[in-house]
Amino acid sequence: MQTSRFHRIGAWVSLLLIFAVVLAACGPQAAPSAAPAQQPAAPAAAPAMEGEWTLAKAAEPYKGVSINCVFLDRPGYRAAIELLPEFEQITGIDVNWEIMPYENSREKQVLDFTGMTGNYDCILIDVVWIGEFAASGWVVPLERFYNDPALADPELNLAGFFPILLESFGTWDNVIYGLPFDNYSGVLFYNRCMLEEAGFDGPPQTWMELKDVYGPALTKDGKYAFALQSRRGETQSADSFMRMIWPFGGSLLDENFEPNLTSEGSLAGLRFRQDLMKYMPPDIVEWDHDETVQGLAQGNVAMITEWSAFNAYFTDPQTSRIVDCIDYAVEPAGPVGPRPALGGFSLGVSANSSPEKQAATWLFIQWITSEAKAKDYIRAGGVSGRMSAYEDPELQAQYPYFEPLVISWKEYGNPVFRPRFPEWPAISELIAQTGTEMMLGSISVEDGAKLLNDQIRQILDQAGYYSGQKPKLQ
Amino acid sequence: MSKSRVNWPAVALIAPAVIILLAVGIYPLLFALDVSFRQYQLTKLYLGTDYVGFQNYVAVFNDALFWQSLGRTAQFFVLTVPAQIVFGVLIALFIDGMRWKALSFLMRVLLVIPIAITPTVVGLVGRLLFNRDFGFINYLLSLVGVPPVSWLGEPLPAMVTIALVDIWQWTPFVALVMISGLSLISQEVLESGKLDAGGGWNLFWHVQAPYLLPGLTAVLILRTADILKLFDMVFVLTRGGPGVSTELVSVYIQRVGFRIFDMGVASAQAILLLILCIVLARGYIRLFYREVEA
Repeated sequence: MQTSRFHRIGAWVSLLLIFAVVLAACGPQAAPSAAPAQQPAAPAAAPAMEGEWTLAKAAEPYKGVSINCVFLDRPGYRAAIELLPEFEQITGIDVNWEIMPYENSREKQVLDFTGMTGNYDCILIDVVWIGEFAASGWVVPLERFYNDPALADPELNLAGFFPILLESFGTWDNVIYGLPFDNYSGVLFYNRCMLEEAGFDGPPQTWMELKDVYGPALTKDGKYAFALQSRRGETQSADSFMRMIWPFGGSLLDENFEPNLTSEGSLAGLRFRQDLMKYMPPDIVEWDHDETVQGLAQGNVAMITEWSAFNAYFTDPQTSRIVDCIDYAVEPAGPVGPRPALGGFSLGVSANSSPEKQAATWLFIQWITSEAKAKDYIRAGGVSGRMSAYEDPELQAQYPYFEPLVISWKEYGNPVFRPRFPEWPAISELIAQTGTEMMLGSISVEDGAKLLNDQIRQILDQAGYYSGQKPKLQ
Repeated sequence: MSKSRVNWPAVALIAPAVIILLAVGIYPLLFALDVSFRQYQLTKLYLGTDYVGFQNYVAVFNDALFWQSLGRTAQFFVLTVPAQIVFGVLIALFIDGMRWKALSFLMRVLLVIPIAITPTVVGLVGRLLFNRDFGFINYLLSLVGVPPVSWLGEPLPAMVTIALVDIWQWTPFVALVMISGLSLISQEVLESGKLDAGGGWNLFWHVQAPYLLPGLTAVLILRTADILKLFDMVFVLTRGGPGVSTELVSVYIQRVGFRIFDMGVASAQAILLLILCIVLARGYIRLFYREVEA
């Protein structure tokens, strides 16, 4: 009897041990201490600058310092990697980079911040993360560097960035935390040859024209008029859902900071998206940026609205069959005009890094986003945030997408295309789920919008926006 | 009265394994248990990490999305594990009955390949194979006149796709476990079984099947635990979509833990899964496990 009981207890203990190992593999990782993020230490005493400021002189105290950057597998980052050796040669600072999928980049950085592991010095800040990263104290206000004569390049010229980019990507509550690095606007990329074959001498000017005129004419023989990347994730919430509500007069929040997805404008945009799906590939809810870019580049889709940063794929004969046919326009207008998507990344300095690494990181960020390197960055495949680069006639001729890009930023730029407050990631998750279900027809547009409105209000209420605990910043 | 003596060499040999197990198994378990009773939102640590009693567990019990994802996981289990057991047993019988031992050995080696591939790579390959426009599966179907199937773009085909990929990857594991069970049957037992039961189904059911039961129990326990924590392959292949159609419970927990960063609730969900695992494992042992004398 006792032996049997002993065996039973033994069996339970063994099982517990086995499943402890299983849980360790599938459960959340050991979380770090709950202490608040470390306040950035004061920078190293700035050496007195003798004579003219040069990068080499400014970097002298940091020679041999290694910094780590978070990069994505996108053209702007490959461009930076191509230019890096020049910076390393001038400064003696080693710049390492880790390329990670966009989907994991926030997760990895947040774990780095909260764990205070200091793995990353040069922080990649998506336009929708700036509120979270800045308000949490994970990135350092850059004024401490650009107000330091030893570190600030006299040619820095913050006013030389497109205002909407510096404001949206790098600024939170009137403090600059990042400099615009990988800069996007939504652009209509189209296959001119396909359009001409179908009898069109230019792209559609409005979304309605795209659906009613171009859609039927271009959707045939296994090819599609349009593809709207809609895979679950930020692609669904930003590139698909938000892209369609703005041109139709909708928005995520109204002027009183209340959810606005059940407004006539928002519903009109979402209903339009459903109607437009018949001119898109049938599995469009599984299309991410890669599939969409490839769809156009391989000649299977006639038009896409994608980030300007993907241009390099279409102009490279190794990745595109439509090098001679690619053309560009501002995203089509809705009833309230064009409202192109705005997105992109700034580079910031981690609050967890040592003062030396912070200074070295600043020098790198200042250099890679400088006016002096802007043209090299563009030629290497990046999209600079510097206005001066886009005034160069030679570059204008070489990169015809400049025109719609600059128009989008200057005339139609929408700084709250997606709210930049810390609650966006949670809201984005909800939109990604319900937005995809709307497209699949498993929930109606009206019911989905109402569900999202309720969920978003709850999130904002819990965050303290309606009780006055938090300022209503987007 | 004999004095019990500590066998130090044995302790020294076992100690490293026990220490590693404590570090990578027990400590995270206890940590997750502790966190599951706290308010623990990584991106809002300024709110503090106070104990909140069973609040996180109540939140999980009231979370319809959690139960829906658990239901989908159960569907996935029903779609995959029985198929893996049937195919695994058939493959095992085929290989065990081979006369050419060299070929039998080669087949066993080949069976290891799918298991050895990392789930992320399996997901990436699956994304290519099941692509609607240029995937190999649709190409094969087109040869017999089947129109392109949107494997990853519609809810039901997406669930079928992840199930097929899982069956492909884990059937060989079941086959290997079953081969080990069949290898326990001595030639004498097999010969007398043939005389008593004849061949075919009777031989399998009355003589071979009892030897497979311990392996079957192990397979059920391991596959249940695997499926409850299956994440990489599904995330790469469908990211839980389209919609939530392939959002298994582990994908959902990852979303709560690493997208919303609510570690308290995510830990409570993980602890509940652990309890579910233990209960199921005990059930399997009670139902299927039988000692067989070789």
